[in-house]
Amino acid sequence: MAGVELEGIVKAYGALQVVHGIDLNVAEKEFVVLVGPSGCGKSTTLRMIAGLEEITDGTLTIDGRMMNRVAPKDRDVAMVFQNYALYPHLNVADNMAFGLRIRKMPKDQIKSTIADVAEILGLTEYLERRPADLSGGQRQRVAMGRAIVRHPKVFLFDEPLSNLDAKLRTQMRAEIKRLHNRLGVTSVYVTHDQVEAMTLADRIVVMNDGAIEQVGTPMELFNNPANTFVAGFLGSPPMNQMRGTLTDTGAVIGDAEIALPGQINGHAGRDVIVGIRPEHVTLLPSEQSSALPIALDLVEPLGSEALLHARHGDTAMVFKAETHGSIDHLSGVDTVHVPAGLVKLFDAETGRALSLGA
Amino acid sequence: MADQTSSSGAIAKPKSTATDNSRWAQTVDHFKREWQLYVMLAPTIIWFIVFLYKPMYGLQIAFKDYSIFRGVAASPWVGFEHFETLFSNDQFIRAVMNTIKISALNLLFGFPAPIILALMFNEILHATYKKTAQTIVYLPHFISSVIISGIVITAFSPTAGIVNTVIGWFGFDPVYFLTQPEWFRPIFVGTGIWQEAGFGSIVFLAAIAGVNPSLYESAVVDGANRWQMMWKITIPSILPTILIMLIIRIGNIMEVSWELVILLYQPATYETADVVNTWVYRQGLQSGQYDLAAAAGLFNAVVAFVLVMTANSLSRRFSRTSLW
Repeated sequence: MAGVELEGIVKAYGALQVVHGIDLNVAEKEFVVLVGPSGCGKSTTLRMIAGLEEITDGTLTIDGRMMNRVAPKDRDVAMVFQNYALYPHLNVADNMAFGLRIRKMPKDQIKSTIADVAEILGLTEYLERRPADLSGGQRQRVAMGRAIVRHPKVFLFDEPLSNLDAKLRTQMRAEIKRLHNRLGVTSVYVTHDQVEAMTLADRIVVMNDGAIEQVGTPMELFNNPANTFVAGFLGSPPMNQMRGTLTDTGAVIGDAEIALPGQINGHAGRDVIVGIRPEHVTLLPSEQSSALPIALDLVEPLGSEALLHARHGDTAMVFKAETHGSIDHLSGVDTVHVPAGLVKLFDAETGRALSLGA
Repeated sequence: MADQTSSSGAIAKPKSTATDNSRWAQTVDHFKREWQLYVMLAPTIIWFIVFLYKPMYGLQIAFKDYSIFRGVAASPWVGFEHFETLFSNDQFIRAVMNTIKISALNLLFGFPAPIILALMFNEILHATYKKTAQTIVYLPHFISSVIISGIVITAFSPTAGIVNTVIGWFGFDPVYFLTQPEWFRPIFVGTGIWQEAGFGSIVFLAAIAGVNPSLYESAVVDGANRWQMMWKITIPSILPTILIMLIIRIGNIMEVSWELVILLYQPATYETADVVNTWVYRQGLQSGQYDLAAAAGLFNAVVAFVLVMTANSLSRRFSRTSLW
């Protein structure tokens, strides 16, 4: 097993720089997820770790060995691709054996390795089938099997679940998590799906525009986003962000004031962005909560809870409320209550999280 | 509607009529909606009718004692007489054997040539060099066979030809290549490769371009080198295209590019160069035996048809790839 270290990693295509000096340390056996919108540089970063893209500047270390100039085959990494990259002319067993045969592993050893991994992944009965005769989930498992049989130091996953339907994605997500717990191989996983990131990761790396916005455990990032980008990216629906101005006792949003006792400390008059998670508001007042009048646009029932699409002044917001079996009581909602301790403040200019209480 | 429901026996026929009407209405609607496509398709259909289907009427002269004065319809039937004449004619048998031998050589050397060329082009990383090389090998395809044969005749000329000049440098006597039967087939097959391999490689290059790039990336991570990737990914991936092209090629096996044969052969090389089509040309047009030539042409077509059907069904059975 091995850790992966990226120091000042830069990727440029001619004059166009797409990754701007990434520093990241993936510990041994850790499962790190790179998440961000399309074009943020997460796949490029993964491909640089795999050796499929040249590193323009910076240092990549795997298991303590500098890998910048090392060929992909000598990095001892295995990669699972978005479209599975299964060889259509080979059956499942031959697909899984491909890398082992290239590395001239003895035939009987290849056979037993494949049998073991097929058993783990539930592929034993499909070993003779070709990829075209498999379902999306089975193909995905074969792609993982091909990576696992190599017993690499590092697994690299490039959006491996994005071609699956929602139900299968949920199943495969759990399978990947179980496999990682079982095998304990250092893994770097790229996705644009924040739910995948939250559920799979030991640590999440949020990327935007070729740079890292924040690194932390899923709950650290969810509870304490470093900036408005991270706040808006993680969470479903994302955090509501409203422009406001601080007063001595709270923050004024439109014609309402959210009380923030003990959080301001002399910053009155400062322009901020007030962040409120959709699930943090309540329909009834609670201790240290402030009323926020809203104009309800739409109620979307999701079963046990519903999404309330509303406006406060010009600002559109989404809140979550429990249905208790019916949404009738939600149609007349005109006020939500915001608990003071769960409100996040960000600088209006830089978007960075503010900690004003100290 | 009243008829349809009046009795159980009367139901089937009106229903069927209603279905026919509905199908007819759907067809009319379809034509109204897509008429532009049919207008575009029309020239090709007309071409097939005029140049390929209508002439089939004349095929019957293969079974008649045809006279241009009596015409096709009035000429008397003679059954398989012309076919018996053909198969008792040594020159025709020789032409059949020559056709098969030249086609076999073409298949053996000429068919793999564009595939190998496409694989080689695929390995060239320098874009400008690749484009230049491709242009150079595509060019002979656009040159008329008359000019191509002129170049070949000049190149192999015993007096001023480049080949004999080089042979002369090594102290050997000039060889009269184009008058010696044993040299005709290598020269003919080689000329065909030179003329068509480049252009033929376009189909395979297109097939290679369609191979999923992540297959190569996955192989690179697995440790495959370029040679292994070519053998284990590229060739298997373009195999369906190779098989389709092979079936088409087998369908044309009796159609040796006879214009090039006519341009390159001479009586001294008939022994190895005379193919069915050149024999038909000489018998039909030069000697006026149209019925015998038609019988030979029909034989050619039947053999080609059987071959292409066989190749197609074999390919479908063993590789799940077929033309139809």
